[in-house]
Amino acid sequence: MKKIAKADMGRFIARLLEQYMVYAPVQVDDAIQFQEITTPSEAYLDYQNSTKSPKGVFLPQSEVLFRYNKGPKQVTVTPPEEIKKERVLLGVRGCDVRATLLLDAIFNTPVNPDVYYEEKRGKTIIIGLACSEPPSLCFCTSVGGTPFDRKGSDLFLIDISDAYLVDVLTDKGEKLLDDTLFRDATAADLELARKREAEALEQMPPPLEVKQLKDKLDGMVESPLWGTLAERCLRCGICAYLCPSCYCFDIVDEDYGSSGERVRNWDACMFSLYSLETSGHNPRPTGSERWRQRLMHKFNYAIGQCGDALCVGCGRCVQGCPVNIDIRKIVTDVMAS
Amino acid sequence: MDKLTQKIRQEAARLLADHQVDRVIGFQEGTLPLRSAPVIVHDPADVDKLVWNSFCGNNLARYLRGLGGRRVAIVAKGCDVRSIIALIVEKQFSRDQVVIIGVPCQRMIDWRKVAKAVNGEILRAEERDGELLVESKGFKRSLQRDDFIHSLCAACTHRNPIVYDILVGEPVEEAGQTPFPESAAFEERSPAERWAFYKDEMSRCIRCYGCREACPMCYCEECFVDHSQPSWIAKSVEPSAVQIWQIVRAYHQAGRCVSCGACERACPMNIKLLYLTEGLNDLAREMFDFETGLNTESLPPFATFDPDAMRDTAKQDGR
Amino acid sequence: MRNPYLPILMRIERIIVETDDEMLKSFDLVFVNESDGQGFSFMPGQFCEISVFGKGEAPFGFASSPLEQGYLRITVNKAGVLTTALHDLAEGDIVGLRGPLGNGYPLHLFEGHNIVVIGGGFAFTTLRSLVVYMLHSANRAKFGEISIVYGARQPGLLLYKQELSIWGHRDDVRLYLTVDKRDETWRGREALVPNVVEEVAPNPKNAYAVICGPSVMIRYTLPKLSALGFSPDQIYTSLERRMKCGLGKCGRCNIGPYYVCEDGPVFSYAQLNGLPKEY
Repeated sequence: MKKIAKADMGRFIARLLEQYMVYAPVQVDDAIQFQEITTPSEAYLDYQNSTKSPKGVFLPQSEVLFRYNKGPKQVTVTPPEEIKKERVLLGVRGCDVRATLLLDAIFNTPVNPDVYYEEKRGKTIIIGLACSEPPSLCFCTSVGGTPFDRKGSDLFLIDISDAYLVDVLTDKGEKLLDDTLFRDATAADLELARKREAEALEQMPPPLEVKQLKDKLDGMVESPLWGTLAERCLRCGICAYLCPSCYCFDIVDEDYGSSGERVRNWDACMFSLYSLETSGHNPRPTGSERWRQRLMHKFNYAIGQCGDALCVGCGRCVQGCPVNIDIRKIVTDVMAS
Repeated sequence: MDKLTQKIRQEAARLLADHQVDRVIGFQEGTLPLRSAPVIVHDPADVDKLVWNSFCGNNLARYLRGLGGRRVAIVAKGCDVRSIIALIVEKQFSRDQVVIIGVPCQRMIDWRKVAKAVNGEILRAEERDGELLVESKGFKRSLQRDDFIHSLCAACTHRNPIVYDILVGEPVEEAGQTPFPESAAFEERSPAERWAFYKDEMSRCIRCYGCREACPMCYCEECFVDHSQPSWIAKSVEPSAVQIWQIVRAYHQAGRCVSCGACERACPMNIKLLYLTEGLNDLAREMFDFETGLNTESLPPFATFDPDAMRDTAKQDGR
Repeated sequence: MRNPYLPILMRIERIIVETDDEMLKSFDLVFVNESDGQGFSFMPGQFCEISVFGKGEAPFGFASSPLEQGYLRITVNKAGVLTTALHDLAEGDIVGLRGPLGNGYPLHLFEGHNIVVIGGGFAFTTLRSLVVYMLHSANRAKFGEISIVYGARQPGLLLYKQELSIWGHRDDVRLYLTVDKRDETWRGREALVPNVVEEVAPNPKNAYAVICGPSVMIRYTLPKLSALGFSPDQIYTSLERRMKCGLGKCGRCNIGPYYVCEDGPVFSYAQLNGLPKEY
């Protein structure tokens, strides 16, 4: 285990910026979001939870799949250039990394891999950050995570007051270290880190019963619950867009006459346009069917897709929903039904 | 228990038991501090879910969409009632389909203002005798409720329900018309400054359409952003597409907005929107002497065409 | 690593107007770059995503059989942005193609069995691929009796009239054509497809049925098959959904845990029973 003094973080980030593109949590007005930084002072690591998840680093909200040029009886298709500069994702929580691992199962498939996602994943080094003050909304421990979940990170930072303990987890992470800023951690440091972890765990709410959720949901294809949820739901995309593990996207051509781009944009199963067919038929005509899809996908179908529920307990949907639809309550109600 | 809450529950129970309405739209206790959540009650046995407090900021008229032939009851404060009237004027439903349980509004709390003032995550909050008691990890604080009223509520001139079937609570004194500070400040800026401000705010927009879906007046079955024949704007978050989306939505509200703030309250990225909507409301007042939702006789400015009015305005501006 | 989102360039070699109202056209596509065509193979029931650059992409089942050399045929109903743009294209114009996608008809199950093909309207596209494939001299012996029930609203709306004529004259396939409403030229049946199925009464023993058509036709035909003794795992269909990636990634075309683009579009009714009816 290594450690770096908080006072040295600025220099560390400055070194990273020399070689890498760095994404870090940034305070933008009252929202905290992950974006590219150009100076170390922009990075805001003392945050509790970011407003939007960092999934845009791997799955940008809008992304050009290819450009095309049309001439008389001919077309050229040009994919985007390879990413030249490697990236560092700094200060990301274990829950958000866990979500990325879930998305890996969907995008990094042996057949038809999503080359855009794969490239970004392969060229990004992840510096995770332990969650010492889990917000009260969080429930990562109910869905297989923990505040100090380091799985998937290349380096993992733990706040120990005036320094960060650095768990070096992969070679990719190791190559970021240098001797001048990073020292060996002492036994006292390790003890403090353990204490912080225990404190964080203590703050977590009692776990929700999620393991049997899939079995319950199997029998709920026709359930009045969907109608009840749909009654209050506004059918906006806030929950899907803030979520670190929602990944659905739309593909459109943006045409400029003789040239244009095929672009993919985030989409949400809550929108009616999502499944609307040209004939006008919509297999999910009302909010009921869409709520069934949302909950089933997250806690039932996902088990087959990626081995786990597509929810990491980050609480962003709870915080963001304008009408206070609370996934924790929904899960509890389903289990009790 | 609060008297208003009690009365609302009584009326709701009566309306449901008598089958006068098939549902009551109101508020219930939220799962987050400083938030109450919209609720739809169908069963008289469930009326105890209903509450009334200073966290009832949502505009419940949003839930009057797709009524068909149904008759519903709705707990409505001043702005909600104006929305109901505006929707009736726009023929979305008829007056007799809605039993309005009107509540003169005590002005609602802006939970984001409170969150900013408290240095720590708010775990619990309670309103008591004009005070907000908030609890965070390791400390409690008492705040003056009136310091944390939502900016629109502070400027509101129609807190009393303009029409109602049942009145819950005593009428309140209405304030005089004052310029909304944010739109007044925006007006002061030069065009270049305005553009920079607008561009900056909209750079955070993620096109989640929370603003659109929270607004009672955005009831179009297919929004212009979703059209493909023709495709009006790009679907991406490319800045110019976002900028057009937002300004057009604001303009689609011109002469229809009731200053409820649902749009800005809904936005997860804390984007300022009210300076735009209130600016347009000011213009509607100035140019057409019109305020949305005050009566069912007046048509909104963009639903009427008076050639003389247009001519006079053009002369005034010298264009 | 091949990018599965990049279309291959195809040239429209031939356009065939299939129906009297000109709302259905078949497009025979050839590879612009011959190397793209080498090794390209597909099975009946699979589909491709066709791009009209600037308008977008949409899924179309292969109407041609994999054994038809030299071109890939799709049949397009003019309905929305992309299909209208396709209909406005001319021979020699370039489109994009991604494929083959999807699972195709379960030929390994069908072999050695009697096959009942039931089609309605313009849903006959991949059924054409299946029938032409099965009737090919290299394959015919692998299948038992082949019966086809195909109906359209009017005679002018039947697809693949040339093929229908050929099949009508073969003695190793039984073709039952019908229309909802006849015209002066029509000397065949005037009856709805479900009723023709009932009349023909195919034997479920050692048989599979494949049904593609408008949902109202399917809704009334399934009970007829059931009454004849077909069990849900003997009845296959090809589903359609709004699609974008065609690769099981964009999330939108799922029915329960199955993605229509990857696990389908061909499903048996045994698979579909118990799933949300999202099709």
